[in-house]
Amino acid sequence: MAERSVTHTTFTLERSYDAPPAKVFKAFADPAIKRRWFVEGEGWEVDEFVSDFKTGGVERSRFRFKGGEPIRNDTSYHDIVPNERIIFAYTMTIGEKRISASLATCEFKPSGAGTQFVFTEQGAFLDGLDSAGPREGGWKELLDALGRSLKS
Amino acid sequence: MTERSATHGTFTLERIYDAAPARVFKAWADPAIKARWFVGPSDWQLLERSIDFRIGGKERLSGRKGSGIVSTFDAVYHDIVPDQRIIYCYDMRLDGVHISASLATVQLTPAGAGTRLTFTEQAVFLDGYDDSGSRERGTRILLEQLGGELQR
Repeated sequence: MAERSVTHTTFTLERSYDAPPAKVFKAFADPAIKRRWFVEGEGWEVDEFVSDFKTGGVERSRFRFKGGEPIRNDTSYHDIVPNERIIFAYTMTIGEKRISASLATCEFKPSGAGTQFVFTEQGAFLDGLDSAGPREGGWKELLDALGRSLKS
Repeated sequence: MTERSATHGTFTLERIYDAAPARVFKAWADPAIKARWFVGPSDWQLLERSIDFRIGGKERLSGRKGSGIVSTFDAVYHDIVPDQRIIYCYDMRLDGVHISASLATVQLTPAGAGTRLTFTEQAVFLDGYDDSGSRERGTRILLEQLGGELQR
């Protein structure tokens, strides 16, 4: 039997983007834009990305890194306030093993002509298969990729 | 316009029950048993209850408090390990206003002939809703009611 454990952690990341809140929000809300910064990184093969961006809607992405094990993200949207806030819950699964369940809050605040973006993740990391450090690192890369996508 | 805010908090509660983990787990998994202890106070009137206890399944509990306010609990199950762990995300609404989203982790470990239950809630309270510890107090009461059910 697998040794079961849960480690609960919270981390917060902040970014200043030059784009207004409506544009940053749209990068989450528009599936075609989100797909580009969220799953289509270098070395990643995307098997599926479907997003139903509405409160109660779900999003599923399946991908692999350099031919590795299939990784799956199952997201459900809990709260959406256009141009201001998105709250979603998501689980990450590698192969058949669920490695985490998380609640994520995205806040978009006007800052001059740009946006102060605050991302808070409250995570439950499971069975020693993942931890907050790598997760936080992963989101730093994603938020950098989001920043680059806002410049295009 | 509503003033938007998001306040993050975490609490953990522990209980030892004089019942085996399989029995404690069943009190969450079996809708008929859960309906006996997962209830509001005596002046609370049930309006709607449904539960689909499986990963991805949903649960709803709606009731009218003595004050006349209708509270609605909407949950989605993210992780279920029989007799060991349940993780769900839930939204609370008061008269239709979204006041919080939470990730709840229920861990069950054997403790002698009984069970140690560890309940962890990672919550975000919305738009100035002042919880002031009432979520934790309410959860304590629910876990006491669960204890009463397990003594039947």
